[in-house]
Amino acid sequence: MRRGAGLVVAGLLALCESAHGGAHGGASEGTRGGSQGGAGGEIDAPPALRFTDVAATSGLTRPTWCGRPEKPHILESGGTGLALVDYDRDGDLDLYLVNGWRLEGTEVAERGANLLYRNRGDGGFEEVTAAAGVGDDGWGTGVAVGDPDGDGWPDLFVSNFGPDVLYRNRGDGSFEAVAGGPGIDGWSTGAVFFDADADGDEDLYLGAYIDCTLEQVLQAEPELAWEGMMVMKGPFGLEGLANRFFENLGGGRWVEATAAAGLADVGLFYTFGVAALDLDGDLDLDLYAANDSNPNYLYRNDGSGRFREEGLWSGAALDTAGNAQAGMGLAAGDLDDDGLPELFVTNFYRDASTLYQNLGDLVFEDVTVRLGLREPTFMPLSWGAALADLDHDGDLDLFVANGHIYPQADLVEAAGTSFRQANLLLRNDGGRFLDAGGEAGPGLAVVESSHGLAVGDVDGDGDLDLAVSNVDAPPTLLRNDTERAGSWLAVDAPGALRVTLTSGGRRQLRHRVLGASFLSAGDPRFHFGLGGAAGAERLELLWPDGRRLALVAPPIARMLVFHP
Amino acid sequence: MNWKALPLVLVAALVAVPAPAQETPTAMVAAYDALADNILAVRAAEAGFVLALLDGHRHAARMLKEKGDWQGAAAQVALFATEGDNAVAGVRKRLLEGGHHFNAAGEEQGIFEPGFVIVTREAKEKLLKVASDLRQATTDEARQEAWGRFRAVANQLLKQE
Repeated sequence: MRRGAGLVVAGLLALCESAHGGAHGGASEGTRGGSQGGAGGEIDAPPALRFTDVAATSGLTRPTWCGRPEKPHILESGGTGLALVDYDRDGDLDLYLVNGWRLEGTEVAERGANLLYRNRGDGGFEEVTAAAGVGDDGWGTGVAVGDPDGDGWPDLFVSNFGPDVLYRNRGDGSFEAVAGGPGIDGWSTGAVFFDADADGDEDLYLGAYIDCTLEQVLQAEPELAWEGMMVMKGPFGLEGLANRFFENLGGGRWVEATAAAGLADVGLFYTFGVAALDLDGDLDLDLYAANDSNPNYLYRNDGSGRFREEGLWSGAALDTAGNAQAGMGLAAGDLDDDGLPELFVTNFYRDASTLYQNLGDLVFEDVTVRLGLREPTFMPLSWGAALADLDHDGDLDLFVANGHIYPQADLVEAAGTSFRQANLLLRNDGGRFLDAGGEAGPGLAVVESSHGLAVGDVDGDGDLDLAVSNVDAPPTLLRNDTERAGSWLAVDAPGALRVTLTSGGRRQLRHRVLGASFLSAGDPRFHFGLGGAAGAERLELLWPDGRRLALVAPPIARMLVFHP
Repeated sequence: MNWKALPLVLVAALVAVPAPAQETPTAMVAAYDALADNILAVRAAEAGFVLALLDGHRHAARMLKEKGDWQGAAAQVALFATEGDNAVAGVRKRLLEGGHHFNAAGEEQGIFEPGFVIVTREAKEKLLKVASDLRQATTDEARQEAWGRFRAVANQLLKQE
């Protein structure tokens, strides 16, 4: 949607139904271009996915750092996240890149400042970091986007190795760092804003990894024998740092409420990716945390902001053999359109990433092998991930960012891997995933140590693009150049929990998934591909308070905006 | 035994030796022997502790099952499978970080997960399947069948008939 293109369609509301009486807010539609799809029916064979890396030509040329090239300390292989966020609300997605530090020997050579790039809307970006005031030069790890002050302007939370930073969006293109904001003075990782207690404002859950000091990082030497080489040690042998939860009291006040909310990190597990989403369909946001080398956490929300950890017996903490894996990042999406989102967790190399099918009542089953995911995910070391309909054929495809933690992998042929790795693109083919990277064009030929991943329609053409952060290198911006298989519909409905689209007689569900991926934040708007359907019959939105809004015959090939 | 005093005892034993001997002083051997008793006793105590922990989860599972709370029973079966909850896993992590592997040889052979004391990988997989089946079961017959599998694996691990 281009700047100023939002247009209230008066007639649209006449088609609305509301389960609780009265239309929920207003609807407007954008005017983004895009084809309307075919004449209806199923697509026999969707076109090959194609992506082109346009980072350099778009002006995204500055690298983000993460320590020394040899990575003697585990912090140096954690990488950094990024966010696609329309910070100036001009209708297109801007890019915020988290930056770490560059080390030389035992010295800090450069404190990399975070970078904000404004999307000019013409295929290019301009760096506006200084003007926006978001160039924190702490050792950045991740970013969360939310609106904790509820003013409608997206705010940024930057997790750091060191004090974290909350940037409040002033609404004039600039931000201010909030004094006394939430955070951990240590190695914090994945963060997510979400309204845990349904009191109308967004709280913050914050993951953490290892308790260590800058001095330990600077003085680190490779200590672990691996494939005949010495590499960094960890995470085993290093003390974990506790995840925390901060309750938003309103008026810019926060209080740490980890134990009171039932979110105590009892195992001091090494957490990376975190997500808030309704896993059990009871209209509140639950929490999931991917833990490295330990069971993943699944916290069930009782609706009042009190959580209970149920990972072990839900089946979503371990793989099918009962093993704790090296959880890095995660993605969530409703692969079987049953109203309950599945979970995909990325893991270490020589171990598959795991897809947990949501069977209901918080029971999950590891279906990695059945869905064809074991083989393509076994050798890569994987981080950010996303489930998204990249070819508009009406189902969710999978993209995974890959890169090893040991640069020494490049020196050991027997390891069968390398520090820089190709990312993984898996097309959903009737419920099984097929490796589509080989035919996906130059964008999938990029080989970097990729970690962060954010998804959104960067060029405003209706399909989803991919922004990827790379260790010690500039980012990759993968423009989706896939030939259209079908039309699309995007829905901007802040606060909505679930959106259901019926088109061509088929029902698709999209869930509000906050956080996820790896220390990154993608566009939170809902996106559908329509497959071969010529139009849509019905669109239904569901809010956490149970209110519903239904549109009959919604327009397609555009963004529909629902004001809360 | 006062462990902090042990080095003093050993030094005293060395000093007490009048001339270079071709054998380790008997006092040192005796001290080490006593230390070994304690090391082995600690190992036995760890096994006993984890057995008690498992028995507690089994007992809780049985109580909940008898009350008809199959979801609760399933949770206890899962905790039995993982030798305790995440807090226990945190303790296990500490022990591993300190270099303590109760079943080092078994871990090497792939029989045990790192740090596990009683529950083998194979048993853990079976038990987690039972927990999942119990949660999803919709008939009493299915619940009883899953419960029977739990009982068989648990009894084998706890060496009971």
